[in-house]
Amino acid sequence: MDRDDHEPERKQQDEKSLLLRLRAGDEAAFAELVRANAGRLLAVARRMLRSEDDARDALQDAFLQAFRGIDRFEGGARLSTWLHRIVINACLMKLRTRRRKPEGSIDELLPRFYADGHRIDPGPPWKSDLPDPVESREARTLVRESIDRLPEIYRSVLLLRDIEELSTEETAQLLDIKADTVKVRLHRARQALRALLDPHFTGEAA
Amino acid sequence: MTARTLNCRELIEFLAAYLDDELAPGERAAFELHLSVCPYCVDYLATYRKTIHLGKQAFAAEAEILEEVPAALVGAVLAARSRS
Repeated sequence: MDRDDHEPERKQQDEKSLLLRLRAGDEAAFAELVRANAGRLLAVARRMLRSEDDARDALQDAFLQAFRGIDRFEGGARLSTWLHRIVINACLMKLRTRRRKPEGSIDELLPRFYADGHRIDPGPPWKSDLPDPVESREARTLVRESIDRLPEIYRSVLLLRDIEELSTEETAQLLDIKADTVKVRLHRARQALRALLDPHFTGEAA
Repeated sequence: MTARTLNCRELIEFLAAYLDDELAPGERAAFELHLSVCPYCVDYLATYRKTIHLGKQAFAAEAEILEEVPAALVGAVLAARSRS
């Protein structure tokens, strides 16, 4: 128990000394930083880019950017949090340069209403025993592929807010859009994802 | 004071703000009043929440698998640093 109590303090101390070594240009410290974070950050890049080559490229770009910018790192945040933001930014840059397929409209995936505000065709409720995507590969694939079907401007916001768990403000800053736009896009993205999953979870899917 | 009434369209517009606890007390009361009489919106709220949860879960397993760092990747990053 004692060991667990002191764990956060110890981590903070370790991070401080690592940071000092990084700033001093210690090669071993750079290797340590990469080893400690590369696995987790590669997972982030894979989620965002859905291509192993692009994910590895983005990760490499992000680490090089972090090495160059280590003097600008402000001690207020955790190093891991700072690296997470840099990787996301590198992934967004990659997404921007990708040849874009024309973005479809999301409107047909949003609920429709009668003039009096009642919902048109609410449909049956979802089954109570939904598969767990952590356990079931099939459910995992279904949810991920459904997220990938969202137009990119909605997919990015959903990934940053709900999966990477960035704040509205951080997301707005990274995407260079207003906080209110983040909120509107997130709400639409969730509704559209819900609509894509709906036929599979009401028991009506083919 | 009587809370104003919402229809289903307005309730769904307010959903994300409701979950983020960003509604003003009067709006929240109106939201909950509508939920108390509309099983369709209760269901929509439940499936909207479930959608967010499923999204998180779909990537949760992956994060664990990647605790092991690919050695070649670490090597490539460090080699790129020495070249840069």
